Amino acid sequence: MSQSLRPYLQCVRSSLTAALSLSNFASQTSERHNVPEIEAASSPEVLLNPLTVSRNENEKVLIEPSINSVRVSIKIKQADEIENILGYDISFLITNFHTEEMLKHKLVDFIIQFMEEVDKEISEMKLFLNARARFVAESFLTPFD
Amino acid sequence: MASTINWRTINIDLLDPDSAANFDTSSLTPAVAPVSASEVQSLAGQIRQLLRAGDAEGALRGALENAPYGGDSHTKDIHLASVVEVLQSIKQSEMSPILRRIYQSDGGSALLDVLMKYLYKGMSHSPAPANHTSSTPRSSMSPQTTGFSQIHSRGGGEGGGQAMSVLLSWHEKVVEIAGAGSVVRTMTDRRTV
Amino acid sequence: MAAPEVHHLFHHPIADHSFSADRQTLAVARDNNVELYNQSGGKFTLQDVLKGHDKTVTGVDIAASTGRIVTCSQDRNAYVWEPSPSGWKPTLVLLRINRAATFVRWSPSELKFAVGSGARVIAVCYFEEENDWWVSKQLKKPIRSTITTVAWHPNSVLLAAGSTDAHARVFSAFIKGVDARPESSVWGERLPFNTVCGEYTNNSGGWVHGCAFSPGGNALAFAAHDSSITVVYPSGPEQPPNAVVSVSTQLLPFMSLIWNGESEIIAAGYDCEAYRLRGSEQGWEIVGSMESKGRPGLGGQREESALNMFRQMDLKGKVKDDTVLKTVHQNTIATIRAYDESGGALKKFSTSGVDGRVVVWSV
Repeated sequence: MSQSLRPYLQCVRSSLTAALSLSNFASQTSERHNVPEIEAASSPEVLLNPLTVSRNENEKVLIEPSINSVRVSIKIKQADEIENILGYDISFLITNFHTEEMLKHKLVDFIIQFMEEVDKEISEMKLFLNARARFVAESFLTPFD
Repeated sequence: MASTINWRTINIDLLDPDSAANFDTSSLTPAVAPVSASEVQSLAGQIRQLLRAGDAEGALRGALENAPYGGDSHTKDIHLASVVEVLQSIKQSEMSPILRRIYQSDGGSALLDVLMKYLYKGMSHSPAPANHTSSTPRSSMSPQTTGFSQIHSRGGGEGGGQAMSVLLSWHEKVVEIAGAGSVVRTMTDRRTV
Repeated sequence: MAAPEVHHLFHHPIADHSFSADRQTLAVARDNNVELYNQSGGKFTLQDVLKGHDKTVTGVDIAASTGRIVTCSQDRNAYVWEPSPSGWKPTLVLLRINRAATFVRWSPSELKFAVGSGARVIAVCYFEEENDWWVSKQLKKPIRSTITTVAWHPNSVLLAAGSTDAHARVFSAFIKGVDARPESSVWGERLPFNTVCGEYTNNSGGWVHGCAFSPGGNALAFAAHDSSITVVYPSGPEQPPNAVVSVSTQLLPFMSLIWNGESEIIAAGYDCEAYRLRGSEQGWEIVGSMESKGRPGLGGQREESALNMFRQMDLKGKVKDDTVLKTVHQNTIATIRAYDESGGALKKFSTSGVDGRVVVWSV
């Protein structure tokens, strides 16, 4: 499992590092405004091609970069119905104000760590759930023994 | 007629030819020549021939040099399949030496940029084009896979996971050689593959 | 090589910085204000704050001989600040733009300055004696997006500008009555206002972040968001250029660049360190980082004793402390400027960036 997780996270890391080259950019469309261009999407030339990093059909990261902001959407593993219940999708919006305040590689670390932890947590929850199900089934079926 | 139009939701910026919303993104990069599906198809044949002859490096180089920027999405998908086929035929240990040779050749940095575009394109495509057997949608599976089986999720086929792991290892090798710059160029270059 | 002088002014982005001619005063753009620092004993201490803008200040430039300071901001305004007995006195410039002002530089003659903007125009500003104010003429065509940077030719007539439309252009900013008629050059012969003397793009459509004319003025270099640096050698008016050399690097994009002589460029940006490039019409290449030799204080730290390393792993559970970057700047470098040069040869240059540091480097 961890063998295939590492290259996936490594790819997310290098993609994010490149995408987080942000600058302070004032809106071209609204006077005296400074808004995340990836959300406003009012000037096509300041949006870049989105990047997808995927580990398999059910686990992928979509990185949508722009001149002053990046939207990172993570599809957390949902390989079967249990994982469907336990897992979820989540998006982060990172703007130039974040990369100015924080160290960029630490910001990337945070996302990577988040993905690792969630992966671990879902696996643990699944094991726990299965153990519980077995226990319930056992006690439920004992009287019929 | 006019009563069916909701005036409040019209984006008036789009009606102004001078508006920033109407920026012509094709002006950002040089014009590309149109490519037809049949040209790409015959190219795919040549690439396969090189592969069969054992010249994986030549096949890769040929595929990258002739990226059909001017093709429609169908044409592009055919070429993507060729590139992925070449990538899957190259052994892990041969990846870096081949990449290094291409990078050091004339115009090699641009070729690796093209490869980087294909790696991201390959990962955005699901299910993976070269992996036809595992492309049956999960939802159509019989109801017995309610998730209580742990074996199934670890199985080899995990939704094109095999094909992705090939692309992921190529990605790592390309970044090692062409650097973060090639990822940046995949984002900025509007000539998509 | 002398170690770089590091001045950590505050924990806040520096959008732009400028030194006075005697290098005793340093102006930095911080949020909505410009802070003036005075040097004493190798240290910079806060002297004055220029308050007037009400949005992020994006550019500041001190004129070398007159000492006038020009500032511009995302509030759409520019001010020219002049010293008076009661402190720095601002004069509002009539920019006539309705979007953010993004960048400002004095022409070498100091009679004009150019202000880039998000309104897809460049305001070329000059002083009108009759009315006693700074007015502007606008360069409009064929700009299609925000101007991110401008740079003057040594003749104070030609102006290079980079834009988020992925083009670097060379314009004539000739103002009748202010400029003397320029001699004809490789860029053009007759040069009425808004003549487009050159329009160049990069291979992968990256926004242009920084540009600069070579010291002689016969070549133009620009850095773009596709991590490339392009150098253009024009051949003559209306002629295709002799050479357009583009280097696609392995690094993250560069934000700003300067020339050192005609065959060397120093560029810095998202990799938080400055790099040296060498070349000519035949080709350019990256030589290396400017930091490898002069990085202060960090060299010793990295060679830790084995004992210390295991202690760290035991106490903190981590292999290495990576909250500090190995570079002097701890975040993106936004501006690089010549600090000490004579006859086109650079001896020292200064950098500032998002980490609130201003650093003076020996070449």
